Amino acid sequence: MSRLRTSILAAIVVALVAAAGALALPSKTVVFSGTFTGQSSVKIDGTTATIAATGAGKSTIGAGKIIGNGTGDSSQQPCVPFGGTGTITGTGGTITFKLASGASGCGDEGGHTFAITAHLTVLKVTGKLAKAKGTLKLTGVYNHDDGSFSVKVSGNLTKPK
Amino acid sequence: MKRISMFSAALVFAAMVTGSAFGANPLPFPANQVKEVFIAAQTVTTDGAMSSWFAPSSTVVFRAYAVDPASHKVVAPTAVKYFYVTIPNQPNVKLKFAATAPGASTGLPWTGTWTVPATYPTGVVGFRILIQLKDKGKTLKGQFVQMPVATAQLNIDPTAPAAFAPSVPAGSAGAGSSANPLNVSLYVDTVNGTRPAAAAPRAIGCSQTNVYKRGEQLVLRTWGTDLSTTDVLSSDNVNTAHFSIAGQPDVVLNWGAHGVVGSQVFFWSNAWNIPSDYPLGETTIHVVFTLESGKTGTYDYTVNIIP
Repeated sequence: MSRLRTSILAAIVVALVAAAGALALPSKTVVFSGTFTGQSSVKIDGTTATIAATGAGKSTIGAGKIIGNGTGDSSQQPCVPFGGTGTITGTGGTITFKLASGASGCGDEGGHTFAITAHLTVLKVTGKLAKAKGTLKLTGVYNHDDGSFSVKVSGNLTKPK
Repeated sequence: MKRISMFSAALVFAAMVTGSAFGANPLPFPANQVKEVFIAAQTVTTDGAMSSWFAPSSTVVFRAYAVDPASHKVVAPTAVKYFYVTIPNQPNVKLKFAATAPGASTGLPWTGTWTVPATYPTGVVGFRILIQLKDKGKTLKGQFVQMPVATAQLNIDPTAPAAFAPSVPAGSAGAGSSANPLNVSLYVDTVNGTRPAAAAPRAIGCSQTNVYKRGEQLVLRTWGTDLSTTDVLSSDNVNTAHFSIAGQPDVVLNWGAHGVVGSQVFFWSNAWNIPSDYPLGETTIHVVFTLESGKTGTYDYTVNIIP
């Protein structure tokens, strides 16, 4: 009886320690920032805008590029909501993301210049920030006349130590 | 040519306050940062009706408030060394502190009047408002120019349409009556939208007004600065921005480019279609910015709704 009680107690202690460990995994905050410029193609079919963007620049994970693909609803003016996925790559790794809802490009009166605002939900990270999680903010400008864009990406990621 | 001159003035102003060069993309208005004294100013008739179009021989009232970037407080009369409007080829118009003066309000208590000469040239008036504070060793100056959207800038034209009336007292519109330190300094105005849903379009779209007929489209325009960083409020440092009107859904403020391509600037704006049955009389528009830092800034702006 005593042995059984001791075993149960030991099991409980092990479980509690494991749970506590899971709750208090050591992590650190990584301040991420980057700037990119590049070209984007936007093909409009009806009210659907198909977007493909590629830009080069530098970020916390080194020199590299940003690639994004998605679709937008061009029936909504002046701010076109859009969604999609993409990657930020650098010499120090790759961040794969999807756009959180609420991403939009707000155009001027003539539809020439768009202010881009989006939040990037980080799905997967490899390299020096491997396993980092969080959301990054992307802001910038897209010129519909020549397809050029420039964006900043910033935010805090949480990475296991 | 006048329009070009006005934008040149804005560029000079921007370069002055930031010392930075302009890139290919439009910049936030008036610049990425405003390190000097913040000024917000409007042009109104003597009864306080906002207008950007005046005929020769009419009277323009400039009304303003200012914020000290060091103390983050609204500039008090005792702190001012000079505060005046400079108008091309005209004598300076000194601004006086008197919240009860014609066209003034508690929120925009500094006013000065300019009677437009009968022979004054038609077109945009590239006026600037200049301030210097009395300080201890430091030179604190500031300058105001209007956003470079021609129809919403001060224009002199013999065929200028009369401002809608009656206006309402602007009350505490602006932060000029606040005694407490501010998180942000804000400029707010309204123009008539070019696509009213249930009213006739005005003769000149996108001109400044604070009196609206039911069914018209009100477009609110705003810019400001985070006083702790001197950065202009942009999509970079603002988490959410909107305006609220009693009984109406909140309207999200959009960060976007405006003006003629090549001379565009970024500021915040969005439209409210005034319902055909909206109550007549004075209505307050509550503008709210929430920054990424968690700080907030607000501005109560008053308009009059007429039949």
